[in-house]
Amino acid sequence: MGKLLEFKRPVEEGLKELLKTLLEGGKLKAVFTLTKKDDAVFYTLIKDAKKLEETTPLLPLMPVNAGKLLSRLTLKESLEEPIAVVIRPCELHAFVELIKREQGSLENFLFISMTCGGVLPIDNIAKNELDTKLNKYFESIKNVKVPDEVRPACKMCQNFLPYNADMVVDFWDKDINKTCRIFVNDTGEKYLNGLGFELKNTNQGLDYEEEKFKNLLALKKENEKKILESYKIEEWGMDGLVKIFGKCVGCHSCSRVCPICYCNLCEFDSDQYEYAPSTYSTELEKRGGVRVPPNTILFHLGRLTHVSISCVGCGMCEDVCPVDIPVSIIFSGISKEVQGLFNYTPGKDIKEDLPLSTFKEEELNEFEE
Amino acid sequence: MNKLISDIRELLKKALDNKVIDALLLPVKVPAGDSYSWVILKDDKLLEKASPIPPVISVQGARAISSLTRRGKLDFKIATFMRPCEARATIELAKLAQADLDDVVLITFDCPGAIELKKYTEKPEEVEKEFSELMGNWESDVIRTICKMCDKFTCVDDGFATDLHIGLIGLNGKMAFIPRTEKGKKFLSGLGLKSEENLNDWEKKSRELIEKKRNKRKELQNKLKPQVVGLDALSKTFAKCINCRICRSVCPICYCRQCYFDSEKLKFTPDDYLIRAEKSGGIKFLPDTLLFHLGRMTHMALSCVSCGTCEDACPMDIKVAQIFSIVGDNVQKLFEYVPGRKLDEPLPLTVYKEEEFKELEV
Repeated sequence: MGKLLEFKRPVEEGLKELLKTLLEGGKLKAVFTLTKKDDAVFYTLIKDAKKLEETTPLLPLMPVNAGKLLSRLTLKESLEEPIAVVIRPCELHAFVELIKREQGSLENFLFISMTCGGVLPIDNIAKNELDTKLNKYFESIKNVKVPDEVRPACKMCQNFLPYNADMVVDFWDKDINKTCRIFVNDTGEKYLNGLGFELKNTNQGLDYEEEKFKNLLALKKENEKKILESYKIEEWGMDGLVKIFGKCVGCHSCSRVCPICYCNLCEFDSDQYEYAPSTYSTELEKRGGVRVPPNTILFHLGRLTHVSISCVGCGMCEDVCPVDIPVSIIFSGISKEVQGLFNYTPGKDIKEDLPLSTFKEEELNEFEE
Repeated sequence: MNKLISDIRELLKKALDNKVIDALLLPVKVPAGDSYSWVILKDDKLLEKASPIPPVISVQGARAISSLTRRGKLDFKIATFMRPCEARATIELAKLAQADLDDVVLITFDCPGAIELKKYTEKPEEVEKEFSELMGNWESDVIRTICKMCDKFTCVDDGFATDLHIGLIGLNGKMAFIPRTEKGKKFLSGLGLKSEENLNDWEKKSRELIEKKRNKRKELQNKLKPQVVGLDALSKTFAKCINCRICRSVCPICYCRQCYFDSEKLKFTPDDYLIRAEKSGGIKFLPDTLLFHLGRMTHMALSCVSCGTCEDACPMDIKVAQIFSIVGDNVQKLFEYVPGRKLDEPLPLTVYKEEEFKELEV
């Protein structure tokens, strides 16, 4: 990515200064970013530059996958004037996947993202030790280690560098209290024109070839191996699935918070999947017992079929599960296989069609063999 | 508790063997042993794994009955064993045409309360043990807050509709069979059992406990009031809501397939959002968190049975059930309505009374 903007000040302050200047300079209509107020963390849509002071754009918490929110913002119409959004790579990637499903529009967004260190599980928001955990988190960032405090999905995330961002905040191997470094591409540069910012050329790359990111990627792969080996998903079969998903209470919250599950009415909540009394009667005769409501495993496998090609591994599903099923580990583990099969990386290229919406003749041959 | 559970299981087995009913709907321990799920069963082996009084409410029983019968009558007769709040929600769902109870024998028991689902998920074995020591202790500290403030845990003085109630309070481990309907009586006689005639001890002790719990309810509600009275306080309390809607999806009363607050009606253009942001300088996005909760409250408060399933599931630990209990109590009092009290008592909002109209005019 092109150029570098550097301030000698705490990273979040620097970013907020940049946002303020853009908003006051009339380059933006609004800013979309995270805010923490008392024990609540939520995304905000800000018009008044003064309100930016209350925001916490880099706080490593994700109350909602913002991709879902940007879809809601632009579902009816695209933006007429620019809005800057500060979101994590998996949120931006999810938004791109939603665009491919015609659930929003990319027009007039200034995408600001970051070289992401992951987020803490949301139940940390209300806990007293949040500050201690944040200190440890940023200490790991400085030392280019995967923070222990993050979601399991983040520990094994291998897409922590954003695709399609116009500006990228990088804080790995730096002291976040001293330096603010923001990489800017051509689109980003256009926004900064005439505001008096000084852009430098840089040798640092923002890809997995760059030494520090290469090392991080290796650590994440190691984590993934360890985590997946402890579950051995490929050996589960039906018995394994029943063991893991048996305690599911059928709240379908994993689907509700999933950025890829955009359906108004989930297939598995439709009357197609309700048993008629006669079905219960037949099944009861056959099996001696039927779980009520039925179709617990079917729901999870079905959702897996629907979302795995686009799963960005954000970990929202696991965070909200009331009975602590390792949903995100299962989903990202399997999704990686599915995505590998089609050589597809969700969120990477907006022009690349969704594999399941394209027909390639040679894929048919593979099946015939 | 374990003796009691195996005694009840024995009874239920007899009901199956004697063909008093065709099947049972009961919480059964899942294969991994880390929770319970509702299972409709006629198999003895499954019955051995069933627990008529489980330590947690994993799925609200009313949802299970509704899943079985919302598309019409069953062609077989069943009996189910439920906590009072589950049975009461079942009655409400029947009134809302989401359950059909004709072929269902509803059996309830004096409920010792339930333990938090999150706590159980973390340490199932410890919680099982804790719960098994609970029986006989009707004012335990280990149960959920909403259970500590529950005043409808026993059906003395016709507190709620049930076919057969099993009294446990003040009976030193003995069960008192208290049929409330013809269906209940028939079930009992099919098992060769008689209804308890001397209920004095049970009634006396039950009334005492209800009084205590009622006071506890008021005390806890008063403590909570500063956090929920007025729009500012309410906004602050619900600020941490992440809009996952789990409170709605586990609520037995919220039966709509598609919630109004997730419908197209509440999806807006970017301009609509920006105009709102302009007014106050900035807005929470998505906005309307409070609208959802207040709306849900309006829709279900009259039938809210304070089962606590919402609060148990909330990932942000918002005291949803306790907050809703305040509103529920007030609204229900206004209409002199008790959810689940009687199957043939109509929902207040479905009946028109001329004098109510006058009240509004005054």
